[in-house]
Amino acid sequence: MMLRNRRNEALFALALIAPFVAIYGLVFVYPTIRLFMISLTDAPLIGDGNFVGFDNYARLPSDRRFGTAVWNTAYFVLITVVPGTLVAFAIALGVNRLAGRLQAAILALFFLPYILPVSVVYLLWDWTLNFQFGIAMYLFDMLGIARIPVFKSTAWFMPAVGIITIWWTAGFSILLFLAGLRTIPTEIYEAAALDNAGRWSTFRRITWPLMWPITALVLTIQLISQLKIFDQVYLFSVGGRPNDNVVLVYYVFQRAFQSDQGGRAAAVAVVLFVIVIVVSVLNFQLTRLSGGRDR
Amino acid sequence: MPNWFKLTKAVLLAGGLMTTVAHAEETVTWWDFFGGGDGVRMKQMVADFNEAHKGEIKIDATTLEWGTPFYSKVQTSTAVGEGPDIMTYHASRIPLAVKQGILQEITADDWKTMGLGQSDYAPATWEAVSIDGKQYAVPLDTHPIVLYYNKDLLKKAGVLGDDGKPKGMDSRENFTATLKALKAAGVKFPLGSVTADGNFMFRTVYSFMGQQDGELMTDGEFLAGDSAKKLENSLAVLSEWTKEGLQSTYTDYPATVALFTSGEAAMMINGVWEVPTMTDLKKNGKLFEWGAVELPVIFNHPSTYADSHTFALPANKGKDMSPEKRAAVLEVMSWMSKNSLFWATAGHIPAYGPVTNSAEYKAMEPNHTYSSLTANMIFDPKTPLAGIAGPIFDVMSNFFVPTLNGEMEPAKAVEEIKTGLADL
Repeated sequence: MMLRNRRNEALFALALIAPFVAIYGLVFVYPTIRLFMISLTDAPLIGDGNFVGFDNYARLPSDRRFGTAVWNTAYFVLITVVPGTLVAFAIALGVNRLAGRLQAAILALFFLPYILPVSVVYLLWDWTLNFQFGIAMYLFDMLGIARIPVFKSTAWFMPAVGIITIWWTAGFSILLFLAGLRTIPTEIYEAAALDNAGRWSTFRRITWPLMWPITALVLTIQLISQLKIFDQVYLFSVGGRPNDNVVLVYYVFQRAFQSDQGGRAAAVAVVLFVIVIVVSVLNFQLTRLSGGRDR
Repeated sequence: MPNWFKLTKAVLLAGGLMTTVAHAEETVTWWDFFGGGDGVRMKQMVADFNEAHKGEIKIDATTLEWGTPFYSKVQTSTAVGEGPDIMTYHASRIPLAVKQGILQEITADDWKTMGLGQSDYAPATWEAVSIDGKQYAVPLDTHPIVLYYNKDLLKKAGVLGDDGKPKGMDSRENFTATLKALKAAGVKFPLGSVTADGNFMFRTVYSFMGQQDGELMTDGEFLAGDSAKKLENSLAVLSEWTKEGLQSTYTDYPATVALFTSGEAAMMINGVWEVPTMTDLKKNGKLFEWGAVELPVIFNHPSTYADSHTFALPANKGKDMSPEKRAAVLEVMSWMSKNSLFWATAGHIPAYGPVTNSAEYKAMEPNHTYSSLTANMIFDPKTPLAGIAGPIFDVMSNFFVPTLNGEMEPAKAVEEIKTGLADL
């Protein structure tokens, strides 16, 4: 009886997950294997190529533009992941202190940019920071500061795109943090208040450690999505200095669609894939370990 | 959402039924990339075509984003058989497209059916659509860049000639003197240049190279011989104008047009496709007296970069074109070519000889003023690496922005460009 039930259950489970496993295999596993195979050929964008072994990988270290792409991607991750997470946490703490309609209104204001498509975000900021006609430039003129061609100078490009990205995507992280803050029982804070705990020690000893799992989650999500940065960089550098601002996904795009080199593009995509896996596993383990010690 | 689906499906079904029942009307799916003033003209031509072929052929036109997005979409959609029936294409992109096998050949029979042929086109234009003696597109126009100028401002500064054209068009020194005179007369930007967009500046830089007979590619070698020096000279002129405050810096494309039409810039180097913008503004009484002429001769002899808009048929994978569809598509290309006099109002120079030889065309302004440049046009080098949004375009343009805005020395830029090209 027991056995038969189990078998039935297993069959039932299989039947339920089969469509998803099949789709997962079709749109993820199969393309990933193909990607790796293409990366070993000299295929153009469309069609097959000849087997060239690890040539495509071997030429990466001496490829200057690949170096730029790796550096820019790392730089972008550096200036967005931790600052973005902290900003979202701070805003969530603030919003959490509000109540009722006001809280909903403020939350909506912070969440609004998140629903905008990237092209709208691009146009908005491109108009604002346009060197000839941008509103920001009139502000600069009024303050007597020299105008800055934000998206046309390599020094300003990444920081600007980083800040815009944080502004654009913070809404989602704020929601996660808010959800986390609401799960902390108020009794704990009441007990702390009875013990005369100050604001800082309450945060340091209660909120921060209890929020650590959420923080780790947000950090991981941010890390993975920022490693795959493309849209903003592509849009903001169109026509300007694309090869100075290039990031890894953009480089894949350039190789595949502009240079018609599918094989070389695939090799870079594989490298990015490995980087994402390694970095996110590392990040997850590190945050889990340090979180465990805190508690 | 599901409701929308059902509704759309019902509408599509009904539409499909009606056409099959009423007549065997052939619908031709069309993609183009004309988003500016010329796009308005093209939409008019499509409407005229549909009107003239009521019940027989109907063009279902979509306008897509110019440049990289357009060509990326064409490549991928053709590879899976989802491309359009006909599309506009830059002649400069044909070598790559042929290498990728995404274009159908236009056969001798096709040309006969269309009533068009080699003798109808300028040799350079015909050559631009031919690879190994086969044609892969039907040329619609050639579109060079020209010098737009504000007659009122030029007159005020005393640099408008008696013929109504700017003074100092014959040499580097004289043209710079004209720019300086404008500056002295209080013009903010004597020359409005698209200095924030290297893609655009490729055209100007390449024209100046052409004025010295410089070549981007000689027998497969990039910037061979003294061509590198000639590229450096071209960049040097432009960066000199920046240093002396004679042209606008970090200006993107829309801002350049705005600077010119608002009168802040006295001259502007831009494509002929902005002619309709000027014509329309002027017609509504919102523009000064303006003109457009061939680029100034900065170096040895006149030379202007040009490309050609053509019609091409994607080789949709696994999807053969029915004879009826092919006939319809050929009729589209034939009609558009023969009626391209209207296309000239978009500023472009029609490729179809009988149109450009007609008295009506010769009377058109400002086309007539700059039509002299057709004798000195240079096209992109013929290689899969060239063309709009292609790799060469991409590498070179990257270093134009810093150079033209005074951040980088021209010699350094040429060095970087050579390294970048070798990397391809």
